[in-house]
Amino acid sequence: MTDAPIHLTDLRKVFGGRPAVESLDLTVPRGEIFGLLGHNGAGKSTTIGMMLGQVWPTSGSIRVCGHDVTSNRQKALEKVGAIFESPVFYDYLSGWRNLDILSAYSGATTKARIAEVVEWVGLTGRIDSKVRTYSHGMRARLALAQALLPKPELLILDEPSDGLDPEGIHEMRETILRLHRELGLTIMLSSHLLNEVEQLCTRIAIMQKGHKVFEGQVSEVKAARGRVMLKTADFNGATALLQSNGLITAASEGRFIVLAPGRSTAEVIRLLVASNVPVEGVWQHEQTLEDFYLNLLKTPPPVPGK
Amino acid sequence: MFVRQLRNELWKLFGKKRTYIGFGAFLLAQVAMLMAFKFTRWQSDFERMLGGNGYLPAEFISALTVAVVMLIPQIILLMPLYATLVGGDFVAKESEDGTLRMILCRPISRVRLLLVKWIAGIIFAGVLVAVLGGTALGFARIAFPWGGLFVMVPGQAFSAMPADEGLQRFLFSHLFLAVNASTMVSIAFMFSCFNMKPAAATIVALSYLFINVVMESIPFFERYNDFFITHHFRCWLLVLENPVPWARVFQSEVILVAVNITAFIVGAMAFQVRDIKS
Repeated sequence: MTDAPIHLTDLRKVFGGRPAVESLDLTVPRGEIFGLLGHNGAGKSTTIGMMLGQVWPTSGSIRVCGHDVTSNRQKALEKVGAIFESPVFYDYLSGWRNLDILSAYSGATTKARIAEVVEWVGLTGRIDSKVRTYSHGMRARLALAQALLPKPELLILDEPSDGLDPEGIHEMRETILRLHRELGLTIMLSSHLLNEVEQLCTRIAIMQKGHKVFEGQVSEVKAARGRVMLKTADFNGATALLQSNGLITAASEGRFIVLAPGRSTAEVIRLLVASNVPVEGVWQHEQTLEDFYLNLLKTPPPVPGK
Repeated sequence: MFVRQLRNELWKLFGKKRTYIGFGAFLLAQVAMLMAFKFTRWQSDFERMLGGNGYLPAEFISALTVAVVMLIPQIILLMPLYATLVGGDFVAKESEDGTLRMILCRPISRVRLLLVKWIAGIIFAGVLVAVLGGTALGFARIAFPWGGLFVMVPGQAFSAMPADEGLQRFLFSHLFLAVNASTMVSIAFMFSCFNMKPAAATIVALSYLFINVVMESIPFFERYNDFFITHHFRCWLLVLENPVPWARVFQSEVILVAVNITAFIVGAMAFQVRDIKS
């Protein structure tokens, strides 16, 4: 048993014979901002749907906040807030009425609590206006307000920046960091914006065609030994020399080299200078999450039973 | 908490314009029928029929009689349309719009959510019938004097009674009309719980009612009339009879209440096993 806010074991979901999620094991430790990545149709939204008890798993177990979602959904979701892509509200009602409606399903939520979250998200002046008059950014803030109503310990955000302009995306990112910092929430974030995930998340999992193909710290991904950029007037001559001396294993794009195991950039510079090759610069190319993600998804997902 | 959830469900229901389409249509239809009754041969034909049956037209061409005359076609034609329109929206529209996903992030059971919605639907049915009856009587009173109630529907009801008793029966019959309307709402609500569009839920429910009407009107099926719910919808006219056939009224009401409960249970079961996705 674990006290992790999200603990999925051997989770599987099949829609009409087509597997959407396969053998998914995932643990989100308390206090983390966890990123769930993957292309469209990778199974992220289905996984989130199962965590919230909206999609029934075909097999496996889902524990949220220590409770099994399938058998004890009410208890499991008591301290969970969620936001979906393009949040939808009752447009013909005011923001306040929308929050009142949603709070009625969240246990005993007082008017004072509603006022508190409205102030927290900065909607106080417009909360009595009809939602149809709200901008995308205001809707996103209202979505955040409804997610905060039950004083959550866990926040599940499915594409929270979807449809927002750059300013809105920045605002949402700052808000997520603020929620994590000030309220100490555990946050699970599903997003297509790799830059956003890189800036926000401490840990990520990547899904491909229903399978988890990677799970690890974002810092590990960024620190992973990648390519070295070599700037020289004679790139071909330099790489031929380096390869013949066993310092590199590959060269590409007229500027990148891959160091052989156990070799360093200092050795590369020393050899090139000693051989009178004009070196203008050599530096480690830090791998971005985007590089890592795109390279990873070039490989096909594991085949069941192999 | 249940009361708060119900109150909010009513806010949602009565906050949208779509809910009032039925009320608006009823008002227009009533005005049109009232004008037709007063300014065409309809009134003189009705007076002749009263005279032919030995009743004084001056006593029975009244607000109560005209209100019932106005109600009959509206209940047959318009009420199923608007009751199923609202009933079909309850779950399917929220599912289509995406608000259902937002609600189902909350720690509320699906059955509880449906129960709140279903009760809101029954309240809507009651309000629809009350407004329908109230406006019919109100409009009729503007154009006709107060007087006795005369009801004649061939093969279904024939009675004449003084104004006081007529008013009591008129009001009493609305209880049965409310059960009819809630049955229509419940059937559409049931289909709405399946994975279908709101318009589809309304059309399927209307089709079901239409098939009942057609089957019931085929002479071969006369002996099976009890199996058609539209047959039981006539209860409201039976309580205007003299004397009231209580055994049949009671039987029909039990069947309609059972249909309401069954529709809710079937809908809840379908909703419970459904995956709610965007």
